[in-house]
Amino acid sequence: MDAATLTYDTLRFAEFEDFPETTEPVWILGRKYTIFTEKEEILSDVTSRLWFTYRKNFPAIGGTGPTSDTGWGCMLRCGQMIFAQALVCRHLGRDWRWKRGRRQMDSYFRVLNAFTDKKDSWYSIHQIAQMGVGEGKSIGQWYGPNTVAQVLKKLRVTSIEIFSWIHNSDHGMSESSVQAAWASMLLRKLAVFDTWSSLAVHIAMDNTVVMEEIRRLCKANSARPDAAAFPPDSELLSNGYPTGAEVTDQLSQWKPLVLLIPLRLGLTDINEAYTETLKHCFMMPQSLGVIGGKPNSAHYFIGYVGEELIYLDPHTTQPAVELAEGGAFPDETFHCQHPPCRMNIGELDPSIAVGFFCKTEEDFSDWCQQVKKLSRIPGALPMFELVERQPSHFSCPDVLNLSLDSSDVERLERFFDSEDEDFEILSL
Amino acid sequence: MQPQQKSQSIRPFKQRKSLATRKEEVAGIRAKFPSKIPVIVERYQKEKYLPPLDKTKFLVPQELTMTQFLTIIRSRMVLTATEAFYLLVNNKSLASMSVTMAEIYRDYKDEDGFVYMTYASQEMFGCPLLVANPELQRSFGPGSCKHLQPTSG
Repeated sequence: MDAATLTYDTLRFAEFEDFPETTEPVWILGRKYTIFTEKEEILSDVTSRLWFTYRKNFPAIGGTGPTSDTGWGCMLRCGQMIFAQALVCRHLGRDWRWKRGRRQMDSYFRVLNAFTDKKDSWYSIHQIAQMGVGEGKSIGQWYGPNTVAQVLKKLRVTSIEIFSWIHNSDHGMSESSVQAAWASMLLRKLAVFDTWSSLAVHIAMDNTVVMEEIRRLCKANSARPDAAAFPPDSELLSNGYPTGAEVTDQLSQWKPLVLLIPLRLGLTDINEAYTETLKHCFMMPQSLGVIGGKPNSAHYFIGYVGEELIYLDPHTTQPAVELAEGGAFPDETFHCQHPPCRMNIGELDPSIAVGFFCKTEEDFSDWCQQVKKLSRIPGALPMFELVERQPSHFSCPDVLNLSLDSSDVERLERFFDSEDEDFEILSL
Repeated sequence: MQPQQKSQSIRPFKQRKSLATRKEEVAGIRAKFPSKIPVIVERYQKEKYLPPLDKTKFLVPQELTMTQFLTIIRSRMVLTATEAFYLLVNNKSLASMSVTMAEIYRDYKDEDGFVYMTYASQEMFGCPLLVANPELQRSFGPGSCKHLQPTSG
């Protein structure tokens, strides 16, 4: 096993090279840098991103499953990286920087701990692989960008959803036993799911972003029932319930939004009409980057320079790290400390998911404005469409009358009496 | 080989019929249904997840939007809302969902008079080197191995 992975990893390690000497700007997740004067800043920004790679010797997934994700976990790791970037923006801010040996704040370790390789970390490889079973992926199977996005969305369950699960499962119970069941289930669920971040996760399908849907999701008045459902007693606090400042935050009108847009920008190769639009995604301050890859190898793309994409590569197998509560623990392997990998944008596999983070409603409005401007760039084809509301018939195909009217059938029969394959006629 | 007939039928429409035949077909059907757009919908040759459609040729009202058309095709395949499904026009472009079939026809129609669309989900990512190592495959248990094949992109 090691022989195979070592060869692969060694090949990968040979690829690192420094940034090219160019006057072209370097864009990293919405920040613009100049290579000649800001090389340090670029590397510091890249190093600060959470880097998730293949790991070995972690507790077996599901108790008896794999103890390493080498060979199959690369897209799951990329999903972790883009989601971790959302949590970093949420809890630490885009300007936060990691530095080797420097003491970091607690919320940093809390974010990191959400991704460590054990079964009860909120977004661990264990949770993602097991939640993927519900998406038709057995453990160890390969994921696509949409698969991992859907799974991460399921893993981020809001406290209001937990509230409703409990509420719906109380049939036939007396008041007091209901309350007791609530309390114990709450504690269990809170430990398993991330209620700390109170994120709204939206995955825009069919290359269409519907603004109304997102506003409804982010402004859903779940904050108040949440607060009522979870009295802030000390036991809950220690199990992931937000602290005072964040309760106020949660009561505000907008839940921080993680927007993921799975796309297919071509069949075998990316249609080059999309490359300008893709680059622009990295220029937006709301950018969370892109998950995708080269055929078979998933990467987390965080920016570009010239015609090259800059990415973090999960294809290095590191031993699993056990994170202790508090104190100093080895987080160095979660940060990529060499110059990041680069590849030509034309090598990109067309299956990707683009991510954005809008902490406030203003961020979202600004993002919408920028996307609208994108459609006016000459020669650039929009990768997705932004619409105010759900186009009619979108969710109710029954409204469409698909039956042939009799005159159609008659005419068709006359025309195709000797044809091997007929037309299917759709009518409105 | 036994599946000869089957592989015959999944050859792309353009390879099954000559340009002249296709042109003739379009001319005939357009004469009968001047207000409908002839559309060819085919599955991407390397698609592994989405089912095949039982029809290839569609006559679509010109005022139908891409959204509506996509909804029809999605419901034919009985896909859930979270499954990735893309219709690429001329094998390369994701059409904007709000445009009508008439607009698609104007912008993308082939020289033969059909509009060609290919549907595909997304590629999956993983390391094909593993296939060379049966030891590793076994360690993932049954069920997962059959998908650890190179997607040969």
